[in-house]
Amino acid sequence: MIKAGQIDKGMGLLIKGAPFVVVEREFVNPGKGSAFVRLKLKSPTTGQTLQETIKSQDSVEDIEVVDRNYQYSYNDGEYFHMMDEASYEDVSVPMKTFEGYEFIMREGDSYRCTTYNDEIIDIQVPSKMVYLVADAEEAIKGDTVQGATKFVTTETGLRVRVPIFIKQGEKIRVNTETREYLERVND
Amino acid sequence: MNNLIKKRDIARLRGVLYSNIRRFFDSRGYLEVETPILSPDLIPEPTIDNFSTLFQNDFLGSRELYLLPSPEIYIKRLISEGFGSVYEISKCFRNNEQMGRQHSPEFTMLEYYTMAFSEKDSVSLTVDMLRETALPSARGASFLSSEPVVMTVRDAVLKYSGLDLDVLQDEDEFRAAAFGKLSIKIPSGEPWDDVFNRVFCTFVETAIPRDRLVFFTDYPAQINCLALRGEGDGSRYRRRWEVYAGGLELANCYAEETDPEVVRDYYRKEYDALLRSREGSGRVIPKSDAGFADIFSDFPSCSGVAMGLDRLLMLETGSSDINDVLLFPFSI
Repeated sequence: MIKAGQIDKGMGLLIKGAPFVVVEREFVNPGKGSAFVRLKLKSPTTGQTLQETIKSQDSVEDIEVVDRNYQYSYNDGEYFHMMDEASYEDVSVPMKTFEGYEFIMREGDSYRCTTYNDEIIDIQVPSKMVYLVADAEEAIKGDTVQGATKFVTTETGLRVRVPIFIKQGEKIRVNTETREYLERVND
Repeated sequence: MNNLIKKRDIARLRGVLYSNIRRFFDSRGYLEVETPILSPDLIPEPTIDNFSTLFQNDFLGSRELYLLPSPEIYIKRLISEGFGSVYEISKCFRNNEQMGRQHSPEFTMLEYYTMAFSEKDSVSLTVDMLRETALPSARGASFLSSEPVVMTVRDAVLKYSGLDLDVLQDEDEFRAAAFGKLSIKIPSGEPWDDVFNRVFCTFVETAIPRDRLVFFTDYPAQINCLALRGEGDGSRYRRRWEVYAGGLELANCYAEETDPEVVRDYYRKEYDALLRSREGSGRVIPKSDAGFADIFSDFPSCSGVAMGLDRLLMLETGSSDINDVLLFPFSI
C-alpha cells in the first residue's frame, strides 16, 4: 500500500484488481475541504483511462514494478515488438499500451520500460529526441514572412511543424511530449 | 538576458493589473484598506494550516503570532465598524498545502466586499471587473470575451456524474452511489462533504469548459462555512460560488453570514474539528475564542469575494505554472 501523497507519474496501481499506470497527477485543495490528489490512470492492456480523486491520507494498492531496457524492433500494426536487452527475448506489447508513441519511438532504439509480472506496462521516452527529416515540402518561393512554417515528416513517420529553412536530410530536435520542433541539429 | 526581460515584463504586467484593479474599485467608491498579515488571532479552520512565529519582548514576554491565510478576519472587523464597501490586495500564507503549478505557500489575494450585495450581484461585478481591468494583451483572451457559464453545483454534479445531490442527502447512500461511479473504495464513515469533494474534483472540475469563466453557485450546506443558507427548499445549499477559468479555481464568494449566533456556532464546530484533527500532531492550534463572533452583533448584509491574483496573472499572461509569474518562485 502506498499513501496518496507518494504517488507519482509512471507508477503502477492496482485498481479493482487490474493494473493501471499513473499518467497524470495533480494536487487539488477544494475551497473548504481536505487535500486531494487527482489522478489520471491508464490501463496498459485496454488503453482505458480513469479519473480518480483520492484524499491525501488515503492508501492505494501499488504494484511491484521492475524497470528494464528493451530495444524496439518493429510494430506489426497490432503489437510493438520489443527485445529484452538482457535475455534477447522478444516481447509483444499491444499498440494501446504505447498509444501515441508509434511515431515517436524509433526502431533499433533502446528504451527503459516498466514491467509488471513480466509484462511491459509503460515506456519512458526521453523528453527530447533527434530525428532525421525524411520528407520535407519545398518552401514556397517568395514566402519570406518571418516565422513562416511548414510540415516535415521524420524517419519515424512523425509530422512536425518546422521553420521553412529545414530541409530533407537534416536533423531536428523535437519535444516528444508536445511534438513541437525545438531546434536544428548540426552534426 | 532573455530571462531578465521576461522577469521585468512580469513585474511590469503585475503592476499594470494592480493599478487597473485599484482604479476599478476606487471609481466605484470602495475604500482600499491595509490589514495586518502578522496577527495574534486566527479563524479556526481545520482545512487550512497556518505559519506561526514567535513574538518576543523582554518586558511583555513572548506569544505566538500567525501569518494570515486571508485578510478576512480583519476586513470583517472594519465592515462591522461601518467602513462600507472595501477591498484589499494582500499577501497571504498557507502552510502544509501541496506544492505544484497552481500553489505557492506565499501568494497574493484580492478581497472585495460590497455592502447590500447578494452573491448573484457579485457574479456580474466580478465579470465586469475582470473584463475592465484586463491587461491590454489579454483583452482578446477567450476566458474574458466568451459568455460566462453560471450553473448550480447540483446541476453540474448531475450533468457530469449523474448523481443527484438533492436526493443523496444521506451520508451512507451518497457514499454508496459515489463508489458506484469511482473506482477507489471510500472509507466507511467518511463525511458527506469529503465524498462530495471527491465527486466534484473527479467528474466536474475535469469536465468543465476551459475557454470561459464558469461560476458554480449554491454549494451544499453540509460544507460548513460562513455563507448564508438558501431559503425554503434552497436551505440544503449555501449562497456561495466559486469561479473557474482555464481549469484554474480563481475566486470564491459568499453571501456573508450576519447572525452572531450562527457565527458562534460555526466557530464552535470548526474549533472542535480543528482540535480533533490536530491534537498531538504538533500543528498550529489557535486559542479557542478570539472574540471574533462578537463583531457580528451588528453586521451589515454584504457579499465578499476572494480572488487569487497570481492565478489571474497566470491566465492573463498564458502561463501554466505559478512560478512563471513570481519573481522569486518559492523553493525550499
